[in-house]
Amino acid sequence: MAVSSSSFLSTASLTNSKSNISFASSVSPSLRSVVFRSTTPATSHRRSMTVRSKIREIFMPALSSTMTEGKIVSWIKTEGEKLAKGESVVVVESDKADMDVETFYDGYLAAIVVGEGETAPVGAAIGLLAETEAEIEEAKSKAASKSSSSVAEAVVPSPPPVTSSPASAIAQPAPVTAVSDGPRKTVATPYAKKLAKQHKVDIESVAGTGPFGRITASDVETAAGIAPSKSSIAPPPPPPPPVTAKATTTNLPPLLPDSSIVPFTAMQSAVSKNMIESLSVPTFRVGYPVNTDALDALYEKVKPKGVTMTALLAKAAGMALAQHPVVNASCKDGKSFSYNSSINIAVAVAINGGLITPVLQDADKLDLYLLSQKWKELVGKARSKQLQPHEYNSGTFTLSNLGMFGVDRFDAILPPGQGAIMAVGASKPTVVADKDGFFSVKNTMLVNVTADHRIVYGADLAAFLQTFAKIIENPDSLTL
Amino acid sequence: MALSFSQTSFTRPNHVLGSTGSVFSTPRSLRFCGLRREAFGFSPSNQLALRSDRIRIPSRKSFQVFASASSNGNGAPPKSFDYDLIIIGAGVGGHGAALHAVEKGLKTAIIEGDVVGGTCVNRGCVPSKALLAVSGRMRELQNEHHMKSFGLQVSAAGYDRQGVADHANNLATKIRNNLTNSMKALGVDILTGFGSVLGPQKVKYGKDNIITAKDIIIATGSVPFVPKGIEVDGKTVITSDHALKLESVPDWIAIVGSGYIGLEFSDVYTALGSEVTFIEALDQLMPGFDPEISKLAQRVLINPRKIDYHTGVFASKITPAKDGKPVLIELIDAKTKEPKDTLEVDAALIATGRAPFTNGLGLENVNVVTQRGFIPVDERMRVIDGNGTLVPNLYCIGDANGKLMLAHAASAQGISVVEQVSGRDHVLNHLSIPAACFTHPEISMVGLTEPQAKEKGEKEGFKVSVVKTSFKANTKALAENEGEGIAKMIYRPDNGEILGVHIFGLHAADLIHEASNAIALGTRIQDIKLAVHAHPTLSEVLDELFKAAKVESHATTRTVSEKVVV
Repeated sequence: MAVSSSSFLSTASLTNSKSNISFASSVSPSLRSVVFRSTTPATSHRRSMTVRSKIREIFMPALSSTMTEGKIVSWIKTEGEKLAKGESVVVVESDKADMDVETFYDGYLAAIVVGEGETAPVGAAIGLLAETEAEIEEAKSKAASKSSSSVAEAVVPSPPPVTSSPASAIAQPAPVTAVSDGPRKTVATPYAKKLAKQHKVDIESVAGTGPFGRITASDVETAAGIAPSKSSIAPPPPPPPPVTAKATTTNLPPLLPDSSIVPFTAMQSAVSKNMIESLSVPTFRVGYPVNTDALDALYEKVKPKGVTMTALLAKAAGMALAQHPVVNASCKDGKSFSYNSSINIAVAVAINGGLITPVLQDADKLDLYLLSQKWKELVGKARSKQLQPHEYNSGTFTLSNLGMFGVDRFDAILPPGQGAIMAVGASKPTVVADKDGFFSVKNTMLVNVTADHRIVYGADLAAFLQTFAKIIENPDSLTL
Repeated sequence: MALSFSQTSFTRPNHVLGSTGSVFSTPRSLRFCGLRREAFGFSPSNQLALRSDRIRIPSRKSFQVFASASSNGNGAPPKSFDYDLIIIGAGVGGHGAALHAVEKGLKTAIIEGDVVGGTCVNRGCVPSKALLAVSGRMRELQNEHHMKSFGLQVSAAGYDRQGVADHANNLATKIRNNLTNSMKALGVDILTGFGSVLGPQKVKYGKDNIITAKDIIIATGSVPFVPKGIEVDGKTVITSDHALKLESVPDWIAIVGSGYIGLEFSDVYTALGSEVTFIEALDQLMPGFDPEISKLAQRVLINPRKIDYHTGVFASKITPAKDGKPVLIELIDAKTKEPKDTLEVDAALIATGRAPFTNGLGLENVNVVTQRGFIPVDERMRVIDGNGTLVPNLYCIGDANGKLMLAHAASAQGISVVEQVSGRDHVLNHLSIPAACFTHPEISMVGLTEPQAKEKGEKEGFKVSVVKTSFKANTKALAENEGEGIAKMIYRPDNGEILGVHIFGLHAADLIHEASNAIALGTRIQDIKLAVHAHPTLSEVLDELFKAAKVESHATTRTVSEKVVV
């Protein structure tokens, strides 16, 4: 389920107008849930886990629903300056307007991570706030290590000076999926780049079909799983939520005394919005029992090499999808559907009471070990709120596994924009009778797929599940 | 008359601007017209050394001017003249001067080596306005949201490229004929051939026709400037000359230079379905405009369209598409000159400004040394020779002097010269000359930008105030569903003088004249704010500005003598 970070919906419709908004920042872990629920629900899912002292990160806020990155117009405060709650600290330019951003906390502006004129993605740290003067130095070294750690992947022994544009280091995480494409550089047209940003598609992962192999707007649209459209000044607004929402609010019984009202966090609102939206898609479900003896045996073998069950299942699903592309298709407008050019498996993960779906891109093509590695990385990023939009938004098929909790079967809700979602239950010893009538005990796992019946029909899903089961039951192909 | 193509930033990196800018005592230059600034107020030859390597005038064979080999009568001005006034170059500047000269009773000839109308009519403002008229309509028809908000339904809008190209060409032909006819009707002699100066008051045209005149005006204009390393093939790497013929609409075109020319073409190309990549040498797009205006314009004209951009880079090498390869553009950092990126596009439009067309004019016969091609002149357009002294009876107007590379400025300069030679001293106030960029919506301006005004105010010790209004507050704009836009006025609160007005919004180019006239006539805000504007009209945007300005109460008001009709 895609989680957008659109917590601050644009309040500024007048261009050039300046309005004030506040940013939230992280606090020490022990306090954070309380603090975030009560005072700063908006960007709580962005907090960094690594902060131990009372040094808070100042994040690039989402100033409008379409904003993916922001430019620092100017820092109103300088490093070392004292800040009082409610004071404007920095002016941020979004796609719509310039806005003053004010602080929620008293403290000192310890370090500026992203300088004036530089750009940072929404949610990235742009500065550090220290609670006391004594912590300024600590914050500064933290800022320095922050910029050097992102360069560390390049194995530079001595960290470069902080001034070496940390913004770009943050904005461009090392491309992990760089499948050896040779030195050929990506050529994308201006509109393709714009669309990729808008739909949170990683342009590097898009295959170009335009003249000279360049990536065109329709390539990006295909990759994003939307039907290429001619008139595309602005995407159509999402369909209005069904009337039920209204009914529930009016019929709601009064709250019990002493009940607490907890406003949605950004993640919760995003989930809520997506769930409501999912109601507009006609879905159906098909279940299938899968014998996992062979898979379990394989898992025991590859586990020491760092392969996870998630990777195995994603790989199997990816390979099955490759044979049944319609299950990997998506229908966005109800008039047409598109075959997605790559198989990107989103895997639902529960994180700190929230839900996010990191995406294993090209799950059918990457080998198990790479997938497992990638997965570990994604989970790490998800925990530390470092996922880039394309890393949780680009899924074409979702996998949800509750087997580890002992759940034997369940029913998943199809995320909007995807063709199908697979709900995987626990693998349990089950008595089965073979065709000769002999009983035996085999590990059996129930999978249940929910699909969009506008594009995927019963027979499609059954065939896909059959293929999936075959792959799981003869898992040798997974390791190829 | 629309603007002529003005210079963008490409030829003038920041540091040069800074150094030359400080030479002049009066900051008369508006920043939007690049070459002009350095040429302004013409000061000694250090600029020549600074910049001489940067300008290369593309040699056009058809434009070859035959330099005078026969300088027999050189130095001895004839006693009686063939004409009172000879104008070399029948562009808009020459035309304006010729018409005014006839009005003043001067016997006038105009020499043209190419076609009457010059750049503006044939390869500039006029045909580009035809293309922009098409692009404006396309944009409107394609904008479903916009149409729906009117309650209109339009099925898919399309266009016929040749039809659009014909419209531009037909318009140019029509205007050219109008210009020719207007001169003929008034009795101006149109002499065909390339003109050059043989000596004082003596001109040669065509093969070997020699004529004399009491006064001579050089109005030879300019040609597109193409920086070094760029190979123009006229098909995939083009200048505005080619682009206006609209022989193709590429899928993806890079536009080098984000000044007027580049912006207007980006408007045309994106409306016709192309994607555009801007290449700008300065750190921000639209460097010539008031910063606030360019910021807003970028939000409206660049960001939502199929346009991306590279700033702070030079296109060091551009190779036309050939052998199945796309157009290759090598970008280098504007400051460090390090290679930065390579672009592969379908076409490249070179819109880096214009270079004066002054080669082979025989200027050496009157000891005139051009500065990066521009002919140095004083504030009365009198040509200055290599020793810094005035050349008698020789004037230069328009793009060739580089003061303000706009068609209507050339015309105004021509009229100013005619005023002088017919015995009435006249100095043109360049700060009152408006400029416009015909994007959708349009941008227009007159006078100083806010930073320029503030700098001037600081230097001369007066306060500068700024007042702004939005098109969103204008009834007519809202009726048209075109509320996007702002107007701002920069003024002196102590005496009510208007220093500059900048408009970005619907019909901005037509709206600017109330402000430019006020500046030209010295009308103060406290006077003009009492003038009445029809309601509901876009002109109320300016009315808003005048009324919102806060002029200190001691500022004198010119009593308007009201004549009451009974």
